[in-house]
Amino acid sequence: MVRLLVEPFRDAYMQRALIEVLLLSGLAGIVSVYVLLRRLAFVGDALTHTIFPGVAIAFVAGQSLFLGALVAGLLSAVLLTWASRIPTVDQDAALGVLVGAFFSLGVVIVSTRQSYTADLTALLFGRILTVDTAEIIQTAVITAAVLVVLALLHKELVLRAFDPVAAEAMGYRVMALDLVVNGLVALVVVAGVRAVGTVLVIALLVVPGAIARLVTDRIGGLLVVSVGAAALCGYVGLAASYEASLNHRVRVGSGATIVVALTVAFLGAATVTTLVRRRRPAPTTPQADPVPA
Amino acid sequence: MTILQQLDSPLIRRALLEAVLVGALCGAVGVHVLLRRLPFFTLALSHAAFPGVVLASLLGVSVYLGGALASLGLVLAVAAIGSSRRLEASTATGVALAGAFAVGVLLQSAQSGGSRDLAAFLVGDVLTVSPRDLATTAAFGLIVVGGLALFHKDLVFAAFDPVGAKAAGYRTAGLEVLVLALVALTVVTSIRAVGTILAVALLVTPALTARQWTDEIGRMMALSALFGALAGVGGIAASAQWSVAGGSAIALTATGLLVITVAFQQARRALLPGGRQPSGVTAGRCG
Repeated sequence: MVRLLVEPFRDAYMQRALIEVLLLSGLAGIVSVYVLLRRLAFVGDALTHTIFPGVAIAFVAGQSLFLGALVAGLLSAVLLTWASRIPTVDQDAALGVLVGAFFSLGVVIVSTRQSYTADLTALLFGRILTVDTAEIIQTAVITAAVLVVLALLHKELVLRAFDPVAAEAMGYRVMALDLVVNGLVALVVVAGVRAVGTVLVIALLVVPGAIARLVTDRIGGLLVVSVGAAALCGYVGLAASYEASLNHRVRVGSGATIVVALTVAFLGAATVTTLVRRRRPAPTTPQADPVPA
Repeated sequence: MTILQQLDSPLIRRALLEAVLVGALCGAVGVHVLLRRLPFFTLALSHAAFPGVVLASLLGVSVYLGGALASLGLVLAVAAIGSSRRLEASTATGVALAGAFAVGVLLQSAQSGGSRDLAAFLVGDVLTVSPRDLATTAAFGLIVVGGLALFHKDLVFAAFDPVGAKAAGYRTAGLEVLVLALVALTVVTSIRAVGTILAVALLVTPALTARQWTDEIGRMMALSALFGALAGVGGIAASAQWSVAGGSAIALTATGLLVITVAFQQARRALLPGGRQPSGVTAGRCG
């Protein structure tokens, strides 16, 4: 058992991958709770697709992918916030249009290149095992920035999640708060998508919060469980993919293995909490309600 | 126009026909996606079809069958997670989406050297459709359009007023399942042309464009199908002209039609004050 959990991380590249995964787990685990409270799963998924053209342009132009992702991420966060406030257009429909348009733009740009399909795959699924020190530092800087913003605005964001009307009445600028949250989600996507790919980022943004929600009702508890679950699954997923690829000759992607670990953890938590709750009366649901009753 | 010179090639003719069929089908179904606010669910369906498609191609069985079975699995998973009452629908959808997509990638990565196929599933490969694919598209399209036509009134009623429909004796749960099944079938049908990720673009954008022109549901579906078919033709033409990916060119053409429509309507409203304002036609907001 110890061999399975420790041995994979002897090599420097696995250590770097582990550091990146743990950093991302901390970052995404925390933001995941706000995604859960505000029901932003679709926004998160949309952002993973909308930063794709930024990455594609930077890739074709030979510029820094990180810069391309950052510009496209922040631009699409602004567009999403704006589009979801047009009264005659349903937010989900606006998101669907933006996902289709941005993602296709990225594919069109990449498809002008010869090695199109291989490049596309790399951009979509990331390569965590080749993450370098510079990328880890970028992730660390983004994590620090996001944590500072959340520490400063936590109360306002929770109020807006649970009671947007009251927040507006108290003089908070709800649209600005929405922009902040969408921007934070975009930053998580930017930090993660290049190293670990679209698939893992959306999973990290949604699943840890959902696991935490099964276990606890308190916001503080949600944050702790969410980060813990993300970090644990990241660690186990990396070790499992290493073991499977090296000792069992089954080539499995690290990112996808981490997501599968998260999904299994969710199913486990769901089963256990359902069994426990059978014996107790159902608790109240403290989820943010977008439409006041 | 390169496309006009290439019309002799059966390859291009098949691609055009497939794009028009899929565009019109997605356009018509898209109105119901919009009415019931299902865009996120559609995106999840399209991601969930992916592992089924990969597995089917590994096993050498029909990719349509694989995609359809995986979509069915997603519908059940979302219903199961959502029924716990602690997690609302979008979180349940997000969890199911991420899990299903990761399984697809794992399956894909376990098999070596398949990045070409992977990209084809994700973003489509409209230029390689076979006559058999065309026949499948036409058959599925007929089933879906038949279902929509047969239950049109019931579906619209239940979308706008689920409580009233239930009180009037309609089986709203059954209608909900019917819509989800039709959307799933449409997504699976469009995988060849636009791939799993971009199906959502064709299911949302033409419908939203049509919605800017009319409030009447039947007319909206006809217009939406027209815009979808137009996007198909425009996309294939653009793809032939500048040799870019076909599926994405179709999605971008659909977006272009929407942008032109919105700009036109804005200009008309600015020039003719007091003109018709579109009312919020999406069901369920004022409930």
